[in-house]
Amino acid sequence: MSGFRIPLFLRGEVVEENWVPFGGRGPESTFEAPDPHDYVERLPLATPMDLADLHEITFDEILDVLGELGRALDFDTNRYIQEAYSAALQAGNYPASILKNSYLMLPHAFDPVGLREIAEERIGIDYLEGWVSKRLQDGRELRIRAFGSRSLHIPAGNGGLISAITIIRNALTRSDAIVKAPSNDPLTAVAIARTLAEVAPNHPLTKHLAVAYWKGGDTDVEEALCRPERIEKIIAWGGFASVKHITRYIQPGLELIALDPKRSATIIGEEAFSSEATLDEVAIRAACDIGVANQEACASARVIYVLSGTDPEGIEKANRLGERIYEKLLALPETISTRPPIFDRELRDHIEGSRLTTDWFRVVGGEHGEGAIIVSQMDQAVDYAPLLSCRVANLVPVDKIEQVTAAINAYTQTVGIYPESLKQELRNHLPLFGAQRLTSLGYACHVTTAAPQDAIEPLRRMCKWVVDEHCDPDEVFPLWRERA
Amino acid sequence: MAAVQNLDMFMSDPLAYFDQSITRMHMISRPELEELQRQALRIRVAEHIDGIEMVRNLAARIGITEVSEFDDVVPLFFAHTAFKSYPAALIDQGRFDLMTMWLDKHTPYDLSGVDTEGCEGIDAWIDRLDEQTPLEVITSSGTTGTISIIPKDRQGASYTMRVWRNFIFQSFGREPTHEELYPEVDVIWPNFAAGKLGHLRLAAMLKREFTGGDESRFHALYSGSISTDLMFLASKMRAAASRGELDRLEIDPKLLARKDELIEMETRRPREMAAFFERMSQELAGKRIFMTSAYSLLYDLAASGLERGLRKVFAPNSAILTGGGMKGVVLPENFMDVIRDFLGVEEIQEGYGMSEIGAFHWGCREKKYHVQPYVVPFLLDPETSAPLPRKGRQTGRAAFYDILNRSHWGGIISGDEITIDWDTPCPCGLQSVAIEHEIMRYSEKEGVEDDRITCNATVEVHDEALNFMKAFEG
Repeated sequence: MSGFRIPLFLRGEVVEENWVPFGGRGPESTFEAPDPHDYVERLPLATPMDLADLHEITFDEILDVLGELGRALDFDTNRYIQEAYSAALQAGNYPASILKNSYLMLPHAFDPVGLREIAEERIGIDYLEGWVSKRLQDGRELRIRAFGSRSLHIPAGNGGLISAITIIRNALTRSDAIVKAPSNDPLTAVAIARTLAEVAPNHPLTKHLAVAYWKGGDTDVEEALCRPERIEKIIAWGGFASVKHITRYIQPGLELIALDPKRSATIIGEEAFSSEATLDEVAIRAACDIGVANQEACASARVIYVLSGTDPEGIEKANRLGERIYEKLLALPETISTRPPIFDRELRDHIEGSRLTTDWFRVVGGEHGEGAIIVSQMDQAVDYAPLLSCRVANLVPVDKIEQVTAAINAYTQTVGIYPESLKQELRNHLPLFGAQRLTSLGYACHVTTAAPQDAIEPLRRMCKWVVDEHCDPDEVFPLWRERA
Repeated sequence: MAAVQNLDMFMSDPLAYFDQSITRMHMISRPELEELQRQALRIRVAEHIDGIEMVRNLAARIGITEVSEFDDVVPLFFAHTAFKSYPAALIDQGRFDLMTMWLDKHTPYDLSGVDTEGCEGIDAWIDRLDEQTPLEVITSSGTTGTISIIPKDRQGASYTMRVWRNFIFQSFGREPTHEELYPEVDVIWPNFAAGKLGHLRLAAMLKREFTGGDESRFHALYSGSISTDLMFLASKMRAAASRGELDRLEIDPKLLARKDELIEMETRRPREMAAFFERMSQELAGKRIFMTSAYSLLYDLAASGLERGLRKVFAPNSAILTGGGMKGVVLPENFMDVIRDFLGVEEIQEGYGMSEIGAFHWGCREKKYHVQPYVVPFLLDPETSAPLPRKGRQTGRAAFYDILNRSHWGGIISGDEITIDWDTPCPCGLQSVAIEHEIMRYSEKEGVEDDRITCNATVEVHDEALNFMKAFEG
């Protein structure tokens, strides 16, 4: 029994009673939360009219509160954040050094300058603040405003940042959020919510946030919430099974914004081998894309295609790059990458299988669970590529770029590419196969929240785009009049 | 080192070593057996380091030239992934010459002369191996894109069946009678009559060893064989579906050409099922039979038989052998009663084994599985694969070294969590090491997919691929 408790946060009120036990993701990890069945009726907003208060405050005020909240999330002084860190350490897969660093970075996510940029770039602050007018060619005046919506958020639990992004997006869009705490990051959302209640008691932002834990798939709870009269949007992150499960609640009036499971790819051009210094640079960038957050992110590099060619000389180049990447991987700073605390057993068995199969694979490292680079000795990725994790990547030498596009599909999120010229060459082509984000090698996991995500605009979709039309019969031809 | 008499016989024909008595096999004292095993292990491991390239390379890499104690061999163990370490693209590209080259490194037999010219698929390739080598390769049903390919041999398969026959018809605690050594039974095989999948290979083996090859005494539920190529397609389908790439999956035209034949097999199944029950209730009623099947198949058969009004069909002294995991199947609590009620057989023998090694460990009356004397069991730390102490009551990842196994490396790490009490003798009275009845797949524990060589759901997987094929013009 690891013994932490996940309080329920109800729009400013913290519930710490009616504890019931839950099992976590590992056999050792169990925790308690107030019985969700007792509170489910209090989670949604009583009436849609209650959202009016959020639409009466200014955007600047929202930024001020978020800025103050960010400052209050200081790791050294905020007890809730410290608890959230300890709980995530027990419940998730991250080692202390990486996790700690992500909590130290948390306040930066709330920086008003950055938040203003997100709102302006992704939505347009004028639309959030009021009605934006435009005259159309048929003479009517169109006034558009982005309203907030009543939403259920099911964030992923890999790192506390996703809980923070969830709360930020909810505030920027003037929405009402019920956040389901993830079992592998059980306390961050509640910690931020409780801090918000302290820095802004009774503020509309506080009153439009609820955080609860229930076991994902608990249909009693979910069916009570997921009705069009209670919520309008579900924002679901995470694995195939959980997103697939949520789709059962989708119906007219209830929309799903799916930030579903993604894999990423990496493409390295032959330029990587132009000099030793370049090879070094490429190796550290690739190592960074593999190693950051111990490869737990959807943007993490896993299968790396190298345009080295597949003749003996090309294979040798790929092997050399593989060894260099492995070296750099082990040298990454502890705050971004470590030896994984738990190594996937199935993956380990497959790596050992490949290690025996020297005709087709060369395995660099991996004997001590520290991570490994498997260099294919032909133009095929390992058959267990979907299992790649725990700082294990597969380097695949290819002759032609066409062999790479075949590996891009609907589940491909980020494609890290070296050099830039190759990216330019590929950028009109890869998206047709499913690629959603192309970035410079080394930046796959250095993600901005001011960009579209998964090839959709989640912030715009979280809003309701409401239209007020003004039609003057002298300007816009009225249907009741006969045309001359 | 104390000289052990007849060590050769122990290593190659343990039944003869123990005078065909299963009781003696499991009553030998632990220290005496362990000394036998230790010496046999040394010889077999040295043979295989010399003769199997993959083992030789692994041993060279980690610096092992010989073993003296049991635990010394553990770093050389293979997981199931060793048998699917070939790139699946070789099969897609029809490179059965390269597949043979890969397999060659898994077996001491010389496969360099195998002619794969014109091989049209996995089935055809394995047929070639059957014809041209001593091998009798078995495959797994596959989960995501690959299937295991294990180079068993004919000689080992026959011997395994002889062991089975002795364990099925003898009783622990007394010397075998002539009738027990040479029983007369009909064999009921509630499955496809042939195939290369681990359990379907059994069909021919059972026929050989239990009926002396007499077709009239072998009764299969379905005629025809399950195609490994179709199972491989099903496995690729699942992999493609999980990547959102089902649209890009290509079907080998040679397999597509067999579509009509495969559909015909599917359409005649209900007819064959009816005929099968007809035969059981008429021709075989009251007879002494031997039947083996996984729990779930046996239950389905029994439930379906009871529905047809058939009860207590066979002679009470018939022999039924079952085992296999419960993965993905939920059976009612009284499933064994249902099976017994239909079959009319008092005793249903349970056993535990895995296709990667030949040995099957028999359940005793205490419902514990007794490890065969020619197998050395190990418990490993599930995280590090380090051997756990061979004393006290231990739970860990099961691993085995099968001394009898000659056609491929006999050291296998399973995906099973098992418990062994090394110090307390089994109350059933046998001296051999006993594995407790509760066996759990680590993958089930962790809720992940795995590719155990399983007897469950073969038909469903087969149909899934066939339905996919039906959408293609062939």
